[in-house]
Parts: sequence; C-alpha cells; structure tokens
Amino acid sequence: MKLKKMLIVGAALFAGVNAQAADTELEFWTMNLQKFSSYFEQSAAKFNEANPGLKAKWVDMNWDQIQPKLTASIAAGNPPALVNFNVPWVHEFAAQGLILPIDQYLGAAKATYSTNAVKDVQVKGQMYAFPWYNSTQIIAYNKDIFAKAGIKAAPKTFAEFVAMGKQIKAKTGQAAFAPKMSDMVGFFYYAGLPVVTDGKAVFNSPKHVAFIQTFADLYKAGVVPKDVFKMAFEQEIAAYNSGKIAMMTTAAQGLKRTETDSKAIYEKTEVAPFPLDAGKLNLGSWMMDFVIPKGTKDPAAAAKLGIFLTNDDQQLAFSKVTESTMPSTKKANLDPYFQSGAKSTDVVDRARAVAAKSMDNARTLTLTPGTLPDETVMVKKLQEEIQNAVEGRKSVKDALDTAAAAWNEKLKK
Amino acid sequence: MKNSSSYTGIAYLFLAPALILMGIFTFWPVGYNAYLAFNDYSIADGAATWNNFEHFKYIYKEELFHNALKNSLIFLLIVPVIQICALLLAKLVNNKLPGMTFFRAAFYIPVITAISIAGVVWVNVYKYDGILTWFLQALHLIPQGSEGQVDWLGNPAIALFGVMLFTFWRGIGWFMVLYLAGLQAIPKEVEEAAILDGANAFQRFWKITVPMVKPTILLCSLMSTIAAMKILQEVVVLTKGQADTYTALFYVYDQAFRNYNFGRAAAAGLVVTFFCMILAAIQFRFFGEKK
Repeated sequence: MKLKKMLIVGAALFAGVNAQAADTELEFWTMNLQKFSSYFEQSAAKFNEANPGLKAKWVDMNWDQIQPKLTASIAAGNPPALVNFNVPWVHEFAAQGLILPIDQYLGAAKATYSTNAVKDVQVKGQMYAFPWYNSTQIIAYNKDIFAKAGIKAAPKTFAEFVAMGKQIKAKTGQAAFAPKMSDMVGFFYYAGLPVVTDGKAVFNSPKHVAFIQTFADLYKAGVVPKDVFKMAFEQEIAAYNSGKIAMMTTAAQGLKRTETDSKAIYEKTEVAPFPLDAGKLNLGSWMMDFVIPKGTKDPAAAAKLGIFLTNDDQQLAFSKVTESTMPSTKKANLDPYFQSGAKSTDVVDRARAVAAKSMDNARTLTLTPGTLPDETVMVKKLQEEIQNAVEGRKSVKDALDTAAAAWNEKLKK
Repeated sequence: MKNSSSYTGIAYLFLAPALILMGIFTFWPVGYNAYLAFNDYSIADGAATWNNFEHFKYIYKEELFHNALKNSLIFLLIVPVIQICALLLAKLVNNKLPGMTFFRAAFYIPVITAISIAGVVWVNVYKYDGILTWFLQALHLIPQGSEGQVDWLGNPAIALFGVMLFTFWRGIGWFMVLYLAGLQAIPKEVEEAAILDGANAFQRFWKITVPMVKPTILLCSLMSTIAAMKILQEVVVLTKGQADTYTALFYVYDQAFRNYNFGRAAAAGLVVTFFCMILAAIQFRFFGEKK
C-alpha cells in the first residue's frame, strides 16, 4: 500500500515536472520601463493564462544594453522571443538579417495598426516589427516669456515659429528654443526636402541651402543656444526647466520631468502642436516596437506574444499607465481617454490631447534603409558640415556642397 | 641538487596559468582580429568570406579614418605632459608634510570616479556659460558677457584639447600612485649620500630620482601611450565625436557596432595596434634597460 502511494505521488510529481518543462518560455525585453513593472507583470500573467503552454517572461534593461546583448545572444544562438526596438534599429537589424519579417504571423492584426506605424517598420515591403507605443513632439512654452516678448498665440507655421524665436530673443534677450540639430536628415524630411534621389545626394539645392541658412541666422542671432549641437533630450529639458529657453519641443512625457523638477516653470507652461511644414509630417515622432530576433526558438509563439502586447487593449492600458505615450493602433488612438484632458488644468493632460490630435502625421523620420553604403560615416560627414555652416565656419552652400560630394563619392561605388 | 633545466621547467609551470589566460584573452582575440581584417564577416550567420586587402584599401582611402587617426596621434601630446606632471606630483606628495595623505587621496579620487559622472561634471565646466568661461572671464582673460562665451567642446579648434585636459585630470592620480611606489623604492641612503656630496635638489632629482624610477617611467609611458591611442570613452561622454574629436577607436566602434562591418573595424583596429607597437618600440629604445 505504502509503495502504491509512493508511486502515485511520484507519478504526479513527474507529470507536474513534465508539464512545467513543456512550457515554452517567451522572454521579452523592454527598454527603460522598469517603473511600469506592475503593468508588464500583469500583462505577462494575462498572456500566460490565455495561452496554456506558453510562458511570457519580462526583462527590462537600459537602452544602451539592448543592442549589444541582443547581438551577443544571437551569436550565441540563444536570443529572446521579442525585443523592444526603436524604428532606426529595426531598419539596421533587418538590413543585417538579424530580425525576422512578421507578415506571415500577423493575419487580421495587421489592419489594427495605423498606416504610418506600419510604414515605419516596413523594409522592402515586409513588416519587421509589431508597432507599439508612439510619441510625437509638441511645443511647451513659458507663458511669462511669451508675454514679455509680446506674443499672444502659439505659432501656426514653421515660418511663424522662427519669427517668434527672433522676437523672443530681441525683446527678452533669452534664447527661444533648442532644435535637435543632431538630426538634420529628419529636419529635411519635415521640411519636405529630399535627401537622396536616384542614388544621388540632393541636399545642396537652393531650397536646402535656404533651410539651413535659417538655422545659421538663428544661431548667429542667439535665438538658439551656443551649444545647441550638443543638446539632446535631457539638456533641452534642463534648459527649459531652468528658464534659459522659452520653448521646448517635447513629447508629453518630457513635461512630466518639468512637473517633477521645476514646479515654478511647470505652472507657467502652456502647450501647442508643433506646426507642420511642407513635408506635412510631425517633427520628432518616435515609435517603439517589438521585433523577433533571428534564431529565436519558436517564432510563431513569439509573434503571438507580440500581437498580444501591441493589441488595442494592451496599448490603451499602457498609455493610461504612462499617461504620456500614444498607441500605434487605430482604435486605441481614438479612445476618449486621449481627448478627455483637453480642458484639464494639468498641462500633461492637455499635452496628451494636443499630441493625440496630431498622430495622423506621425512618422519616425529616418533615411530609407540600405540607401547609404556607409551610413554612420556619411551621416557624420553631413552633420559636421552642417555644424560648420550653422556655427559660421563655412558658408552654407560650401558646407552642403562638400557633404554632397563626399556622399556621391560613396554612392557611386 | 637540481640542474638548471629542471628549474626552467618549474618556472614555466608557474608561468603557465598566466600564459594560458593571456593566450585566451589577449593573443587569441588579437589573432582573430587579424583574421577578421581580411574577411567579410556576417553576424547573421557567422560566415567569414576572404576578401584580401579590401578593408585596408578602403580605410587607406577613407578621409574620416585619416582624420580619426590624426586625432589619436595628436592625443599623444598628453603622454609627456601627464608623465612629467605625475612624477613631479609624486615627488611632492612623497614629502612628509602635514596634509599629504589628504592630497594623495584627493588626486586619486578622479581615477575611481565613474567616467559617466565625471563626464557630466566636465560638460558643465566646459559649457559656453559654464565654470571655465566664468573663471576666465573673472580673470579678464577672455571678453566679458556673451562675446567671450566659448562652447569649449563645440569648437573644432579646441575641443580635442578639452578632452585631453579631462583625460589628464582623470589619469594623473593613477600615474602619481605608480610613481610614488617607484620613489619609495629608492633607498634613502643614496639620496643622503648625494646630500653629503653637496648635490642640490635639482641635481638629486635629475641624477638620482629620474634614473632610479626609469622602469616606472617606461611602464607609465607605455600605459599612457596605449591609453591615448585607444581613447574612446572620454570622447563619447564629452563630445560624442563631434567638433573634430573623432578618434581612431571611435571609427572602429562605429564600423563594428553601428555599421556592423566587423571586417573593416578589425582592419582599422589592426592599424591602431600597429601604431601602438611602433610607439612601444620607440619607448623601449629610450627608457628600456641598455644591455
């Protein structure tokens, strides 16, 4: 009898162990989202409950760890199921054949994503990522500085934006804004100016020269800070929070930082959409997504998790948790939640409403993948020459001609 | 009594663990890097395709690499400066004067400070309206007001020197400690005898201290030369390679981890290694033991 009991217990244990071993573990990596841990733990639990045999496991890491760790894990033959990427990385990794196309797994889910989100992650006609949370830039401005400068309303066009910047400098002596000068390719697209046409660099046309000359004039007049080329996201927020610049172009989450770090400036802040230019595209939209790395054990199961994490419900829930990001699905983006804060006393709520209204023009502005044979070197050359021009070491025409010649030298090879 | 060959065998036995580790972590990567330099390597499938000297031909014609190598070679200017200053500083803190323990620790703190934190501090020092501008304006060495404000890390004419000063600040404490160890190994009697012979402080430094710390000078010079040739982190935290501060190792990093062209990166790395070897040979010639 005793032996029989032992055998039954043993069999039950074995079955349990076996069932455990049969679970396919789907590790998914996110980028700097540790503070939303409860959302991801709940999402993983929900997925696991709905998908017996699959076990989603969430791992968060810093943005600078993800690429090298993924490269190492692919080389070691043990990559995770899904990895949180931004759009440029999708293109880089797709070009290298390090991530898998996902169209075959999407089915009806493909139609749920917004058209621009799908375009963002398409490489040679195939989708390489599940579009996830998105953001787009708006203008946050200091009402006190605007009042001192005699400005009554936010700019409606880019030309107005530039004119207001000059007015602010002239009337208050303060720098007006700090455009992200480290990405002029994105600026060219925003202005509706081509970068490469028919395999030739075309960014030295009179229109391009005039566009860059605008920035050179702003730099010379002190409308933008002297270290504008070194100013990234963090430095721009710091400059705005300390009252050194009148406006910042930011996503709604940037304002959360102002609220925390500089309450006095936050209370003087108002928001407005960033005006469109000839490209009819928002400036500074930045979509996040999930990719399936090459060599992952069960790509179909990984895709199941990818579709789940980026479906309407999950994306809407995530936006509510972050309070500042936008979904990349059509339905979730229309949810009343996003416009509910339009008349709120809280600036972040208003910023979210302003951003949501402009999501139709949101594209992550990057060069088409595979356009440049030596992208890092070529983009660096263009940036250097633009910096020379804006900071007055070269004429704009000379600088753009030099960069275009260097690009064409490489493009003709 | 054991013969000399068995002693040699025992010596190699003791050396074996270190040699094995060096083989795995130093010689094999260098050899594999040399192999990659002649191949096109695909990380997607791990395949390496032989392509002769194509990567070398490419970087030979690559203006950006030439400029990067030039910047790395300019960076070598820091080597004699940091060595002389570190030796003099070590000589100073080697004296038994009040507060010397504090100064030794104070000079060493930058060595153990995380580069990212030190970088944030120095970016603020170098800002156009930062501490350096304020200090120079207070001394009336540059024009007052916005006219005198310089973006120290944004101007290609001076940005590389700004990075060099940061490297100097971070490195001097480390070399000071090494020289301090070298100085403390000098027998006191030698210096006392020189004093009795009437040698002044300069003569004692030049004729006794310098020759006796020559092995330390060689070691420190080699270390700082190699560190200068492979400067990368400092550039990343201060300028991200902008304003003509792009160095040879930055090129290697860009090619490998942003362009995924590991073959070209390996070729560029091999060129940097070659320069390091030449510079090391020159230093051995000057500071090495004469047979």
